[in-house]
Amino acid sequence: MKKLLVLFMVLGLFVMGGAANAADKPKVTIYTSMYEDVIEAMTAVLHEKFPNYDVEFFYGGTGTLQAKIAAERDTKKLGCDMLMVADPSYSLELKEAGLLHPYITKEAENISLEYDAEGYWYPVRTLNMILAFNPEKFSKEDLPKSFKDFAYDPSMKGMISMSNPLTSGTALVAISALKDKYGYEYFDKLAENKVMVESGSVALTKLETGECKVIMILEESVLKKREEEDSELEVIYPTDGVICVPSPIMTIKDEWSAHGNSKICEELTDWFLSEEGQKYIVKGWMHSVRKNPPAVPYDSIATDTIVKNAMPVSWENCLKERTELRTNFEERVKK
Amino acid sequence: MYPKNNFFNVKAVLIILIAAFLFVFNVFPMGYLIFRSFVGENGFTLSAFSRIYTYPLNWNALRNTLITAGLSMIFGIMIAFPLAWLVGRTDLYGRKFFRTLFVMTYMVPPYVGAMAWLRLLNPRVGTLNVFIANLFGLSENPFNIYTIGGLVWVLTTFYYPYAFITISRAMEKMDPSLEEASKISGASPLKTVMTVTFPVMFPSIVAAALLVFISAASCYGIPSIIGAPGQIDTVTTRIIDYVYVGSPEGLTDATVLAVSLMVIANIVLYISTFICGKKQYITVSGKSTRPNIVELGKWRIPITILVGIFALIVVIIPFVTVAMTSFTKNLGKPLSLANFTTRYWNILLTRKGILDTAKNSLIAASVAATAGIIISCVMAWLLTRTRAKGRHIPDFLITLGSGTPSVVIALALIMTMSGRFGINIYNTLTIMIVAYMVKYLLMGMRTVVSAMSQIHPSLEEAALISGAEWQRSFKDVTLPLIAPSVVAGWFLIFMPSFYELTMSTLLYSTDTKTIGYELFTYQTYHSQQTASAIATGILLLIIIVNWILNKLTKGEFSI
Amino acid sequence: MSSITLTNITKYYGNVEVIKKFSGVFEDKQFVTLLGPSGCGKTTLLRMIAGFEKPTTGEIKIDDVTVSSANNFVPPNLRNIGMVFQSYAVWPHMNVFENVEYPLKIQKIPRSERNKRVSEILKAVDLSQYAERMPNELSGGQQQRVALGRALVSNPRVLLLDEPLSNLDAKLRETMRFEIKEMQKKFGITVVYVTHDQTEAMAMSDKVIVFNNGIVQQIDSPVNIYSNPANQFVADFIGRINFLDADIFEGEIKFSGGQVMKYSGDKRGKAVIAVRPENIKIRTDEGILCGKLSQAYYLGDVNDCRIDVDGTEVRVIREGRTYGEIEIGANVWLDFDTYHVFEK
Repeated sequence: MKKLLVLFMVLGLFVMGGAANAADKPKVTIYTSMYEDVIEAMTAVLHEKFPNYDVEFFYGGTGTLQAKIAAERDTKKLGCDMLMVADPSYSLELKEAGLLHPYITKEAENISLEYDAEGYWYPVRTLNMILAFNPEKFSKEDLPKSFKDFAYDPSMKGMISMSNPLTSGTALVAISALKDKYGYEYFDKLAENKVMVESGSVALTKLETGECKVIMILEESVLKKREEEDSELEVIYPTDGVICVPSPIMTIKDEWSAHGNSKICEELTDWFLSEEGQKYIVKGWMHSVRKNPPAVPYDSIATDTIVKNAMPVSWENCLKERTELRTNFEERVKK
Repeated sequence: MYPKNNFFNVKAVLIILIAAFLFVFNVFPMGYLIFRSFVGENGFTLSAFSRIYTYPLNWNALRNTLITAGLSMIFGIMIAFPLAWLVGRTDLYGRKFFRTLFVMTYMVPPYVGAMAWLRLLNPRVGTLNVFIANLFGLSENPFNIYTIGGLVWVLTTFYYPYAFITISRAMEKMDPSLEEASKISGASPLKTVMTVTFPVMFPSIVAAALLVFISAASCYGIPSIIGAPGQIDTVTTRIIDYVYVGSPEGLTDATVLAVSLMVIANIVLYISTFICGKKQYITVSGKSTRPNIVELGKWRIPITILVGIFALIVVIIPFVTVAMTSFTKNLGKPLSLANFTTRYWNILLTRKGILDTAKNSLIAASVAATAGIIISCVMAWLLTRTRAKGRHIPDFLITLGSGTPSVVIALALIMTMSGRFGINIYNTLTIMIVAYMVKYLLMGMRTVVSAMSQIHPSLEEAALISGAEWQRSFKDVTLPLIAPSVVAGWFLIFMPSFYELTMSTLLYSTDTKTIGYELFTYQTYHSQQTASAIATGILLLIIIVNWILNKLTKGEFSI
Repeated sequence: MSSITLTNITKYYGNVEVIKKFSGVFEDKQFVTLLGPSGCGKTTLLRMIAGFEKPTTGEIKIDDVTVSSANNFVPPNLRNIGMVFQSYAVWPHMNVFENVEYPLKIQKIPRSERNKRVSEILKAVDLSQYAERMPNELSGGQQQRVALGRALVSNPRVLLLDEPLSNLDAKLRETMRFEIKEMQKKFGITVVYVTHDQTEAMAMSDKVIVFNNGIVQQIDSPVNIYSNPANQFVADFIGRINFLDADIFEGEIKFSGGQVMKYSGDKRGKAVIAVRPENIKIRTDEGILCGKLSQAYYLGDVNDCRIDVDGTEVRVIREGRTYGEIEIGANVWLDFDTYHVFEK
């Protein structure tokens, strides 16, 4: 009978499921696409700054998190209270869907970039899509200086790599901007040049080993490697403009959020946008969104220079054409 | 004294319990998945079907899946059968070592292998590629991993152990006198293998082939790492892509595509049971006879060297590559003192995220393995010791579950277990445990059933007649005798659950991220070196556990 | 003090009737053998006494306790029976001592008493010096004795033996046969013994039950089974015998070949005349049946001859040297000491 008993106990375990651990402190869960290293550092700081709150990050690629949120919307409850993910177009979508909690922050006046006038979302970090190469393997003169050459230069054939716009929000913004500038022909050229579509870490390794000559990637991951691993990898700021992605911070409405702590989220929003909060963003190799940014990440160039010369992005198009862009990318590049 | 029906009711209750578990968490979700693919928000429609199946990319993916899984299956069997025979039946040098080595591959996440092969065989600077090109003075690197061939290679090297384990087990069960009879009749050892061993083993080989096919077809990690650069999509990567599109439509599209994978899997399953059903002629003798050992004679050294080279290429080189990666600062340069760092190991041992996920996986995999092995023991008892009516129903459902591609299981569970039908276990570890059990129960059950069928029933009857109740008899006689297999079976469920990726990718939530998913995230987004450190850590853990187990039980228990 | 009473036992596997209405009493301290060809149901009957199988109908009593009936079933572990299995069923993970000790452990007998009892038994089965050995270090005969010791250790009421000697070589079989019989006398125990080997049955039993196709053919002492077989099957199964087809009329038996023999019994019609080879005399003068000597072998103690009687071969085994003088192919006469008539 003992065996049976154990069986019942185990079956009982299933039914009970993962019992929620009793939280003594009010909790805030943030879905984010920031690197784990950044999350690690950020968690420690927040723990110090807000000892009375339990702030927890949950990492996922933008696409992954969007999929997760889509599934969670079905159950009428999201698993998070705040989002620090993706591009402004996703904020537009969530705002329209009525999932967001509006809040006018006192830091608004210090923000250099476009934000939502009603306070549904603010940019919190600037991510820059750039090109990168490895000077130890190839000399800069032989490599493309622009996104255009990246796709159009036949000598790059089979030796270029980029992220998958299906899973990466920034990659989606990039192909949206590139499509607006060069048309869908750009995708065909990428295909002709046999671009490898894969995630950042894999691409960086290929750059290091010399498998790829040049890759389209976020500036932060190159800076991080340079600072932390004494990597020689270098950034090329494309002559046709860096693709800047002001990644937003948003708070989920109480009735949708995981813990219903929107007041705490407001405090956190203030902090993230404050000079101090932005200092940690910069420390995490991303650019600040404030006017007169406190510093540039590691050895990057001035934030203003990048933003001034950025390739224009239409967030409306990005939202409207999301499916079309992805489908076209798939059909033209991944055929 | 003893109510006469009690004993028999227990069986019925057990069968019903196990069948009910599988029905709720396997049959019903699958059924609903199919239902949903036809019936959208606005009633019955084939629009999703026509959308998905008129899209050439999906046909490509379907073709790629069939080709890669099919070839991996063929090559996997071609590798596994001779290896199982050499290791199990001949006087090959270092048989035990090789056995552990090959089984060990099963214990390693397949996408870790993909990482290694990526570095070894990429067409431009792959270490092994360059080495071979230099060795033979080739003007071009001979291999390109970003091809169908490369995908098949990596799938084969990581899924042949499934076949190896299945076939070795059957080989141990085979009555050696069958082979002896053939030799007496004048057949050479090779002829004996081809005319007696192979045909007698045929049902197990088909079962092994099925296992390799389904595993390869439902694998996500390897094609997503190897296939992506060469734009080789498989059905699984397509399904995950659809899920990542992030719209409700994407989920429906994923579902519709998943149905095709399920249909393929079920056809294969059906064919294999059809072939095997009538041919269960593995003879198990009551007395435990030691399998006779074929002497390889003058071939002993050459064959050992050959097996050694195979092990070196397929097991050792990739593992060493991964281990070395975990200590390398700059992957563009060779591992030297200047380029050496333990940073990633520090991250592994201190980062809360990694430790939390490891804990989650440990809990989920342990519960799945423990519950799974209990069900396996009960099933083994029902199948080998009773004639209880309906005992083959759970057996069939367990086989069905394992034959279902992981992606399909996960999707079906999400759709049915998030409260729509009164059970809401989405976002809990429970849903992971359930998914792992549905997927991996079979390996555990097969192991225990085979061990149990080797124990002559009279051993248990002797205990009964000595005055022991059947529970006591189970504890005193059956359990000690099948214990090594129970432990092995536990690990066969535990390990793949522990590093599971495909299902976890879809089922994880804030509190239930698993080590497999974390490893994959590190591999693809953050840092390959940290991922390598995690993978090496898992591998070390396995080796240590295996070693301790071996020591403690004087070689009786091992993975 | 233990008798076994079986009343109207039947057993079906699905639609197949493996035991057909069996009734019988095995008395205390008797050595009862269930004999028959394989598949005759004898093992099934034994396993029903043990409690591994449930009779489809009928009742089994051990002494006065009903252990199996329509509404009562005592599981094997509560029947206090010893059993030796065909495959020995010695537990490979326990040493000799532990194997034998096991039934006592189940009964929660204190350690000191257990040790004493196990030592006694090991001595009785001549395994004292092997107590610490593991079963795989023992020969077949030794394993058999471990099984026997284990079956006897708890002083069971009944000892069941399921073809215990079939896995042993011929010489060991004879020794063990003797040992088992000795053991039974020593322990004064009721034994039910299953075998397909008639010599075993003859040598050991007080009572033999011959089975065929689930039906009892004869229950009797070994002597009677041999000398008075109840039917053609028993006659054929036990020992050697010649069968001759015949028709019986008032006062005479007419053999199929046409020869006629006087008959005073009351059987009539088509029949088989059974006569054992040692019950036939060969004569050169007048006899009952005439035939032609086709083969003759002198075996030292006996002559083994074959005589062709109108196309039927009749075997004769007889002491004496005289037959050697008859030429092969010569006509001879046969005389029957005793014979059996089985109606068809």
